[in-house]
Amino acid sequence: MTDATAETITDTPAEPASAKANRRSRGYWAGVAHDSRKLGFWFVAPAVLLLLFIVVFPLAMQLYLSLTWWTPLDGVRWYRAYESFNSGDNYARLLTDGALWAALGRTVLLMAIAVPAQFLLGLGLAYLFMEQFVGRKFFYSILLTPMMIVPAVVGLIFFLLFQGTGPVNDTLRLPTSFAWLTDVHRAMLAVIIADTWQWTPLMFLILLAGMLGVPADQLTAGRLLGASNWQNFCKIVLPRMKSVIAIALVLRSVECFKIFDVIFVMTKGGPGVETETISLFLYKKTFADLDWSYVAAIGLTILFSLSLIAARGLSYAAKRKG
Amino acid sequence: MTSIQINNVTKRFGEFVAVDDLTLDITEGEFVALLGPSGCGKTTTMNMIAGLEDPSEGSISFDGSDLSGMRLQDRNIGFVFQNYAIFTHLTVYKNLAYGLEVRRVARSEVDRKSRAMAERMGLFDRLDESAGRLSVNEMQKLAIGRSAIVEPRVFLLDEPLSNLDASFRAYMRAELKVLQREFGQTMIYVTHDQIEAMSLADKIAIIDKGRLMQYGAALEVYNDPRNRFVANFVGSPRMNLLDGDLKHEAGRLRLVLAGGAEIPLAGQAAADFGQAKSTQKGSLGIRPQHIYAGERRSADDMEMKGHVEQIERVGPTRLAYLQVQETRFLSVDEQDRLRPGDEIAFYLTAEKSLAFDMATGDRLGGRLQ
Repeated sequence: MTDATAETITDTPAEPASAKANRRSRGYWAGVAHDSRKLGFWFVAPAVLLLLFIVVFPLAMQLYLSLTWWTPLDGVRWYRAYESFNSGDNYARLLTDGALWAALGRTVLLMAIAVPAQFLLGLGLAYLFMEQFVGRKFFYSILLTPMMIVPAVVGLIFFLLFQGTGPVNDTLRLPTSFAWLTDVHRAMLAVIIADTWQWTPLMFLILLAGMLGVPADQLTAGRLLGASNWQNFCKIVLPRMKSVIAIALVLRSVECFKIFDVIFVMTKGGPGVETETISLFLYKKTFADLDWSYVAAIGLTILFSLSLIAARGLSYAAKRKG
Repeated sequence: MTSIQINNVTKRFGEFVAVDDLTLDITEGEFVALLGPSGCGKTTTMNMIAGLEDPSEGSISFDGSDLSGMRLQDRNIGFVFQNYAIFTHLTVYKNLAYGLEVRRVARSEVDRKSRAMAERMGLFDRLDESAGRLSVNEMQKLAIGRSAIVEPRVFLLDEPLSNLDASFRAYMRAELKVLQREFGQTMIYVTHDQIEAMSLADKIAIIDKGRLMQYGAALEVYNDPRNRFVANFVGSPRMNLLDGDLKHEAGRLRLVLAGGAEIPLAGQAAADFGQAKSTQKGSLGIRPQHIYAGERRSADDMEMKGHVEQIERVGPTRLAYLQVQETRFLSVDEQDRLRPGDEIAFYLTAEKSLAFDMATGDRLGGRLQ
């Protein structure tokens, strides 16, 4: 057999010896174009770097600062904060900070009322929208509107509604002296109403999607087996929606925990600290007290706890689905 | 046991008439098949009995009492869906127990009945499994068991066998017959498969374009079809329907088919066509097993001459396609003698020939066999 026939049998023509030598001399980079793993790594690298910069860097910086007494008033550059290293005193402090725990308590209270309220209202509305009725599409779009309004604007709307001389008191035939936003008990209620108004639509949307996913013939089969609509709802619709419900609740709980804009516009956390949730508390600590390292410690702790809770909730949802 | 009366029921969807003035009397304990091509209105009829649809006109009664206005869940109807509608998020046990639980039957009773039904349906080993994991065949059984457990007044089955594989379908056909006898309930069975209808039902209601074509026992429908549609629809292999012009000549009646072939009508066939003097175009119906080659068996049988176009074997039967000019006759070759290309004379049994008026599709003459 001659060399010429050997060449036709192998697909790739033989490389000139010089090219091989060339590649060897370029080391790592020489083979990248032929190695899909290496090539993939370099294609992904810019995105990973960007992600590192916008997510990991601030988090790492926060963690670093949270372990020091550093504030911008020190006049020391942030990376030299280690000079005031405090070996975790901020974390010890947040465990015993009454104001922080009170703010946390208020946040949980708001969540514990607003989220179930939104869930029940959303579920009820979704149930109504299962049926066809005149104007269904129209009401559907109307219902979704609040969700699309900027929260600060929602805050403003309800700030105006709840004025002593505003439409709420007028409609309920209450005296103009009847205070909502400056009353110790009612301010929180007003905030909850505003938040519920804005976010029930999202609940409704998610739950309706879940409900429409329940096969209609199963409901018919249930009816024919003698079940009332209500029994069908409890025994077929709700169980089949478990994962959707879990997702909706986790989503809204996390969002509700972070509530800020509406309260800031409506009450600024007042009267006193009656509506001061964790976000407002942190805001005040940051911009009024300039206690940055402490805020960093709280922020990280909350992030960690919330992630844990949300992950558990979502893994429950995922398990249900399977 | 419950009897069902469907009185002049019409169902319209907008302009479309799905069911047209249907009247049907179903005796208690009977197994009735609603048979027809898809889109003929048979499922709509069933849905109206179940209460899933309301009739536009007319009424449906159980044991003589009108059902209109009665809620779905109060009708006590066993309904097996074409796709079974099994509650896949529940266990097999919970599926079976559903009808009892929503009726607030005592727990011990629910347990006893569910287990007994699972035993009966061969699902006992799978009681605690998720129903979504069952095979199609098992889902079918579960769907029937789930409906049967509440002892419904009537049982409605919507093409229940159409999703099953062939061997299980045959088994289930026999099983359904047994179950019906066991439950003793009135059953209505919707199908487009005439073999299924013939083998299962006591009576068959054949529906076309929303209208009742014929209602009778399986054999009656088969032997004595009231019109051309029924004759065409029922029976396998299909009946030969030979359409042509009727020619009277010197006292003899001939049917001239398109393409030139002629059938010299004789005996009963001639009499039936002869009765209706006004009929110009006629259709002669004859089942393949009543066309034979070889010795003439009766003086009346009508002789044709042609050649064997093709032989087809369907299981144990040999079907011969016999060509006479442009017309093709399907016959059962009983003696296993015909070969493709043979030039032969064959006979149409006059006794078994049916005469139809082409214009109306109605049977002419008519007799019970």
